[in-house]
Amino acid sequence: MTGEIDIYGVYVPTLLVLMLATLAVSLLVRRALAWAGFYALVWHRGLFDIALYVVLLLGVFNLSRWWLS
Amino acid sequence: MSFSLRGLARVLVTLLMCVAAFFAGRALWSHYMSDPWTRDAKVRADIVGVAPDVSGLVSEVLVQDNQPVKAGEVLFRIDPARFAIALRQSEAALAGGRATLEQAARELKRYEKLGDVVSQQKTEQAQLALDSAAAAVQQATAARDLAKLNLERSEVRAPVTGVITNFTVRPGDYVAAGAAKVALIDTDSLRVEAYLEETKLNRVHVGDSATIWLMGQPTPLHGHVESIAAGIEDRERTIGSGLLANINPTFSWVRLAQRIPVRIRLDPAPDGVNLVAGMTATVYINQGNNNQAGDRPQEAKQETKQETKQDGASQQNRAPASPR
Repeated sequence: MTGEIDIYGVYVPTLLVLMLATLAVSLLVRRALAWAGFYALVWHRGLFDIALYVVLLLGVFNLSRWWLS
Repeated sequence: MSFSLRGLARVLVTLLMCVAAFFAGRALWSHYMSDPWTRDAKVRADIVGVAPDVSGLVSEVLVQDNQPVKAGEVLFRIDPARFAIALRQSEAALAGGRATLEQAARELKRYEKLGDVVSQQKTEQAQLALDSAAAAVQQATAARDLAKLNLERSEVRAPVTGVITNFTVRPGDYVAAGAAKVALIDTDSLRVEAYLEETKLNRVHVGDSATIWLMGQPTPLHGHVESIAAGIEDRERTIGSGLLANINPTFSWVRLAQRIPVRIRLDPAPDGVNLVAGMTATVYINQGNNNQAGDRPQEAKQETKQETKQDGASQQNRAPASPR
C-alpha cells in the first residue's frame, strides 16, 4: 500500500483511484440488483445506493490493501 | 397484512445498508484521518560543509563528485609552498631567538661573576634581557607551531565518512578560509523524517515500527521511530520592532493541522536500495508494535534504556486512547 498511484509520472492519492473504481463496481452491482428485482425490497433507492457505494468503497479499499501489500 | 410486512422489510433492508455504510465510512475515515501515516516524508541526512582552514590556491584534487570517502581522507590540497616558506621563516626566527637567549644568559653570568664591579642596574638590565629573550623564544615557538599547523591544514580532509556531492573544486581555484567548498553527506545519519499531522501525533510513540515506501520503489523499507521533534515554528507570531509579540490578527476559519517532523531510524536496508537524501517517501507507523529490541542486538541496550525513560510519558499518552 503506497498511499499513491503513479499515472504516467503524476502521483495521485490512492483514494481517488479507489473511488473511481468503486463507482464502476457500484454501477455494475446496481444494474445486477435492478435486474434481479431487488429494488422492490428497497425503501428509498437513492439512500440505499449511497450506502451501497460506501460499503463497496471499504471493500475495494481492503481488497487493494491486501493486493498491494 | 402481507403488504405491511413487505413495507417493514423494505425499511429494514435500507436501514441495515445505512448502518453498514456508517461503519464502513467510519473505518475509512479512521484510516485516512486518524491512523498515523503520511505521504509527506523525506529521506534526510546531515550534510557537512567542508571548508578549508587556510586560504590559498588549490593545487591538487584527490576526489571526484559523488565519491564515497572515509573520515580523515584527503579531499584536496591547497598549494603548500607558501605555508612551507612561512614555516621556514618561523624556524629561522626561532633560531635567532634562541641565539639571543643564549647570549643574554652568557651576559648575565658574566655580570654576576664580576660582582660589585658593575652597578646593580647593569645586572638587572642583563636579567631583563635574559627574561625577554626567553619570552621571545616562546613566542617564536608558538609562531613555528602555528606555521606547522597551517601547513598541515593545507590538506583538506573529510571530517566524517560519507559521500561527496555537487563537487566542483578544480585545481587552480582559489579557496578562502572558512568558506564551505564541499558538501559531504554523512551516510551514517541517513534517516527518514515523516511530517505527521499534529492530530495523529498521540498515536505515535518512540520505538514504534514503521513501514516506509519510497516513491516508485516496489518494496518497502522498515524502521523505527527514533524521536519526535520537540518544537516547530509558531507561524502566527513574530517579534515586532519594539520586541513585543506580534500576533497575526486574522485567524483562519478553515485551517489545517500543522505537521511535526518525526524521525525514523532505518533498519539495515536491503541490498539494491539506493537511498538518496531528499527522496520522497510514504510512511506508515505501526501502532503498538515497539518490542523489536531483540532484532537489533547491538542497539538493544540503548533501546531499552530509552523505553524505560519514555515509559511514564508514553503511558500517560496512551491512557486516554486505550478505551478505543
